[in-house]
Amino acid sequence: MFSSIEDVIERFAKNNYIASRRIATVIYLATELRKPVLVEGPAGVGKTDLAKVLAASLGFDMIRLQCYEGLDEGKALYEWEYAKQLLYTQILKDKISEVLVGAKSLTEAVDRIAAQDEVFFSERFVLPRPLLKAISSEQPSVLLIDEIDKADAEFEAFLLELLSDFQVTVPELGTLKAKHIPLVVLTSNNAREMSDALKRRCLHLYIDFPDRVQELAIVKLKVPEAATKLAEEVVTVVQSLRKLDLKKTPGISETLDWVKALTLLNVNSLDQELVTETLDTIVKYEGDVRKAQEELKDYVRRVRARRGTEAGSDKDLLN
Amino acid sequence: MQEKLVEFANLLRENGVRVSLAETLDAFSASEVTGLSERDAFRAALRATMVKRASELPVFEELFDIYFSGLGEIIKQASQAVQNALSMSDQEFQKFLDQVEKMLQKEGKNLSELARQLLQNNSGEMERKIREASRAVKLNGIERTIEENYFARALARQLGLDKIEAEIKELREQLEKMDIGSELKAKMEEYLERRLKALDDIIRRYVRMEREKRDIKQKEDQRLNQIGEKSFYYLTEEELKKMNEAVTRLAQRLKNVITVRRKRSKKGRFDIKRTLRQNLKYGGVPFKLRFEKRKKEKPQVVILCDVSDSVRNASRFMLQFVYSLQDLYSRVRSFIFVADIGEVTECFRNNDAKEALDVALTGDIINVYAHSNFGYAFRNFVTDHLGAVNKRTTVIVLGDARNNYNLPHDWCLREIRQRAKKVIWLNPESRNTWGFGDSEMDRYAAHCDLVEECRNLNQLYRVVDRLVAG
Ligand SMILES: Nc1ncnc2c1ncn2[C@@H]1O[C@H](COP(=O)(O)OP(=O)(O)OP(=O)(O)O)[C@@H](O)[C@H]1O
Ligand SMILES: [Mg+2]
Repeated sequence: MFSSIEDVIERFAKNNYIASRRIATVIYLATELRKPVLVEGPAGVGKTDLAKVLAASLGFDMIRLQCYEGLDEGKALYEWEYAKQLLYTQILKDKISEVLVGAKSLTEAVDRIAAQDEVFFSERFVLPRPLLKAISSEQPSVLLIDEIDKADAEFEAFLLELLSDFQVTVPELGTLKAKHIPLVVLTSNNAREMSDALKRRCLHLYIDFPDRVQELAIVKLKVPEAATKLAEEVVTVVQSLRKLDLKKTPGISETLDWVKALTLLNVNSLDQELVTETLDTIVKYEGDVRKAQEELKDYVRRVRARRGTEAGSDKDLLN
Repeated sequence: MQEKLVEFANLLRENGVRVSLAETLDAFSASEVTGLSERDAFRAALRATMVKRASELPVFEELFDIYFSGLGEIIKQASQAVQNALSMSDQEFQKFLDQVEKMLQKEGKNLSELARQLLQNNSGEMERKIREASRAVKLNGIERTIEENYFARALARQLGLDKIEAEIKELREQLEKMDIGSELKAKMEEYLERRLKALDDIIRRYVRMEREKRDIKQKEDQRLNQIGEKSFYYLTEEELKKMNEAVTRLAQRLKNVITVRRKRSKKGRFDIKRTLRQNLKYGGVPFKLRFEKRKKEKPQVVILCDVSDSVRNASRFMLQFVYSLQDLYSRVRSFIFVADIGEVTECFRNNDAKEALDVALTGDIINVYAHSNFGYAFRNFVTDHLGAVNKRTTVIVLGDARNNYNLPHDWCLREIRQRAKKVIWLNPESRNTWGFGDSEMDRYAAHCDLVEECRNLNQLYRVVDRLVAG
């Protein structure tokens, strides 16, 4: 595990994740107190990545359960392969007869079959899904339950039971208990509010959009080939767009996508035309694009005013 | 520390943050991991364990500052003020304190603890003492500005300020006789006096801070109460926005309760008979297993929402509720009416809340500028949409029943009720006015299982509670 909060920060940095002190503290607590973390925040602020990096930093396996509407226990925990079991039974028919040779009474026959029980009810007929994988894993693991808000409240109730004791009962096999209690990270986009019961069990981490300095650092880390000036401009623009009332506010992923795209185009600095052409990398809805363009025009005007007479050609608007 | 955390949890609770005992204990274990000395880590630890809703974070931050930095900060500032008054640098002040220490060793044997701590600038211990004393005088009961004097005096008495004053006076007299340079002597004199004054200052500022703490709570209480009790008719834009959040959460709660209930009567059992029957064709080898169908009594709801001008604010708000419900259940059908009636189920399904409400209220679906005609709307519903109602359907009508003296056609409502499981009417008008003027509420009420006044958020809460219970 981690030796301190600083250790978290350092090891996350090695795995290309910039953890604020607050994030690092919560992660450190989660590992020390062995509590699940519920990570909430807008889209694209690094919730999913946080879990991945946590696993990588500790050298743990990472097991991911992606939630969606209608997700049920069968898809999340395990399925019993009845068909396979029946097939075995059929194929082994002759063997069964052998076992039964010489049985004098029905009782004796039943007893003999019962003695072979484990053949018919064994783990080989269990098809494990992520949650069972996490429980039966031989290695310590990080269990990421991604976008829990997309699953139904019913599934949440089921999850709650699981999180409290990390054991499941498979009727055919009995009770399985986790060898290593996994570190659990749940993420939510707040499509719906999680139940109080779930929240009570978890440490809560709210990740908001990063400030300018932090975002710039992330860009430099993730797209080192980008020109510094370009990175700065993009971050400034994205930061100002986040202040608008958009249907979907651009996250860090969008910033990174934009910087990457522009870098591929060999751009070192933004200009109006480029912004217009590539704006749809960061804002997706038509209404948002319109609002963003308005804002950017304003922004350009302001920058220009500040620069005074120095403003060059019409094209060089952002600089 | 545990005590302090329990107190802090109470404070959070008083300010509307729901912190359970288990969470307070978690906060305690977390703070043991991070330690207290590092403010940011300590703060993050409490934040992660005690606050589980993003919307409650600002309250937490504010209270944390007041509660944990509060008294300590005041004491520090007071000490800084003393240093400034003596116009010493940090270094000089430290050296000076060493001299004070020497002096105290000689002359201060009889000093009380607090006096000694005060003069030694031992802020941690002082803080502890002052907190203790404030508990004794029940400082957390302070509510109004005019009580500040009373509590400041009580706290001073509890701390034994009189005695400290006397002790320091005595110390000054002894100082006179001491054989140290006159310059140092003068400084010491001033120091003693300033320190004494600083204590008084600390007490006053601390009392004020405590009062302000309660103030935040009061303001918040007032705001919530107001918004909860305020009639839908008089809401401002800002309030409407707040309401919308509340309503969405309300609908969510409704769903949670129902889900948990449904979960209890779970899972179909293995159905032997059907399995055998279905597998006859495989010679009785059960290839396909059959389970009893889980009976999902999915609640079905049909909502008829009045969106006429007379209930404009209320209906926006009701529609928001309808929208949230529909978002949560697959089987909700929503209709709006003024005189015409039209279905908005699809429109709600395909748009986000704001757009959906706009579409519903700007007249693309029905003419919203017509004069209310409940009778006409009900009759059209019976003619065109009665198929939407069956014996598992709960029908909810939202409206003020002001029919402009048109024909009420209450037989339509009777017909609806005969097919439905239940008919519920929520009226945003005050009960006193029902049946007066053009209100047909009494007539319609005869064909409802439940009629409720629903003028504000609190009433809506109650209605939802009832719906959930029954
Ligand atoms: N602090 C950070 N340091 C480094 N990279 C980061 C950081 N935060 C976010 N990122 C990067 O931003 C991108 C988006 O992160 P991620 O997909 O984890 O977001 P998310 O919050 O899970 O979004 P969604 O809600 O859409 O699932 C990733 O490429 C991730 O690497
Ligand atoms: Mg994600």
